[in-house]
Amino acid sequence: MSDFERNRAFWDRHSDEYQETHREHIGRPEPRWGMWQLPESELRILGDVNGKDVLELGCGAAQWSILLAGLGARPVGVDNSARQLEHAREALAASGLDFPLVHAAAESVPLPDASFDIVFADHGANRFADPYAWVPEAARLLRPRGLLAFSGGTALEMMCWNESAERMDAELHLDYFGLNRLEDTDGPVQFELPYGEWIRLFRGNGFEIEELREIQPPPGAESTYRTREETAWARRWPMEQIWMVRKEP
Amino acid sequence: MGAALADGADLDGAEGTVSHVERNREAWTGYAPEYAEWAPHAWAGEFTWGVWHVPESELRALPDVGGMDTVELGCGTAYVSAWLARRGARPVGIDITPAQLETARRMQAEFELDFPLVEASAEEVPLPDGSFDLAISEYGASIWADPYRWIPEASRLLRPGGHLVFLVNGTIMILCSPDEELPAGRELLRPYFGLHRVEWDGTGGVEFHLGYGDWIRLLRGNGFTVENLIEIQAPAQGEPHRYPGLPDRDWARRWPSEQIWVTRKRS
Repeated sequence: MSDFERNRAFWDRHSDEYQETHREHIGRPEPRWGMWQLPESELRILGDVNGKDVLELGCGAAQWSILLAGLGARPVGVDNSARQLEHAREALAASGLDFPLVHAAAESVPLPDASFDIVFADHGANRFADPYAWVPEAARLLRPRGLLAFSGGTALEMMCWNESAERMDAELHLDYFGLNRLEDTDGPVQFELPYGEWIRLFRGNGFEIEELREIQPPPGAESTYRTREETAWARRWPMEQIWMVRKEP
Repeated sequence: MGAALADGADLDGAEGTVSHVERNREAWTGYAPEYAEWAPHAWAGEFTWGVWHVPESELRALPDVGGMDTVELGCGTAYVSAWLARRGARPVGIDITPAQLETARRMQAEFELDFPLVEASAEEVPLPDGSFDLAISEYGASIWADPYRWIPEASRLLRPGGHLVFLVNGTIMILCSPDEELPAGRELLRPYFGLHRVEWDGTGGVEFHLGYGDWIRLLRGNGFTVENLIEIQAPAQGEPHRYPGLPDRDWARRWPSEQIWVTRKRS
């Protein structure tokens, strides 16, 4: 089974439970990023979305895209899981909005070249798709000067996962060189790259690097994704980061 | 200051403290005799990056330097500038330590290769704006000067389109390095957020190390585009290095002990 089929099966299986567990945490009335749901109004990653064509890679139940539509964007949501998109369709119907939802893997998106001003993901396809395939797709889908922004995990987080104890600790358990595809026995296949690899991948696909925002959760930050212990770890070392890169003119 | 790390604040100028420039000059005056001994070898060879001696011909971190005006920030014995000169560049070397510059001058005479050497800190270079095509630092100002001061200076010194290429230690190595001058292990011993000024117990010098995001913001904020980040993996074979504070080859094959930022000033 290929990685994208395996991750599709995983998300079809886990979608209901995922949406139930995180419903309140990620279902708030304004756009928020990541595991600690920090508001976009503070982080200012996407900027003004009014009138822009916006593609969300790995939209899940489309919480983000629905809010962006409310801010005047023309969103399209892509997800690899049909079950996730069923949740998105229900939410879309409830919102009274309408925009396209596309069932596809981010490695191969059935949409035309240069049709978006912003391509983004919030712990979306970037965590579960092969970066050497989805970053070129994002470059293809963006117009010149378009923004690619995505939040995800970090190399440090991946290296400090103690598999036998099933928890984060302050020790390097994995090699940094060669970091890419991470396989969990019955979980999804995940991807994370060393910093230099990300930079070369962006540059090689015509992106200029604008910023790497490493998220330090504020004191007392809550998450349905992370334990208190893990949040304490993340106050010392980056467990979440947002890349902002722009397609060259 | 055993704590080895201030939270991003620069302590220089605070009452009763000696500036990091003075402390590093003193430390490097102490190291200078050792470096004088190694200088003839370094001057004679091909330019290799870092303690693992990875040749530039393999890493290709630099543009074709022929005909370029280059400035080496924290040149020490100036072996990098000597190599640049042999490749057709017009180098200038700057360093804060007179003893190191003395060695550089002796090497210039010995190798019959003459170029300007200036005693100055990379944080305040007495040279005109827009006068260089390449600024380079290999374990020079790149780790011994405050990046919030020397990066703006490098930007000022470069012409539009000019290259800034510098080697620093791997951020992950710094996180795993103890307060004493001992090699990194596998445990994260200091926080990432706030990484800036780092001191090692028992050594006089003050180093500066930043996280990835802070480097990118600082470079971008000073008009540089980030072209590449070359993280050096120690080669499988070779001589051990001679630095007590740096990890051995086994560690450095798994995690980056050194990284080269390859950047360019926007036109």
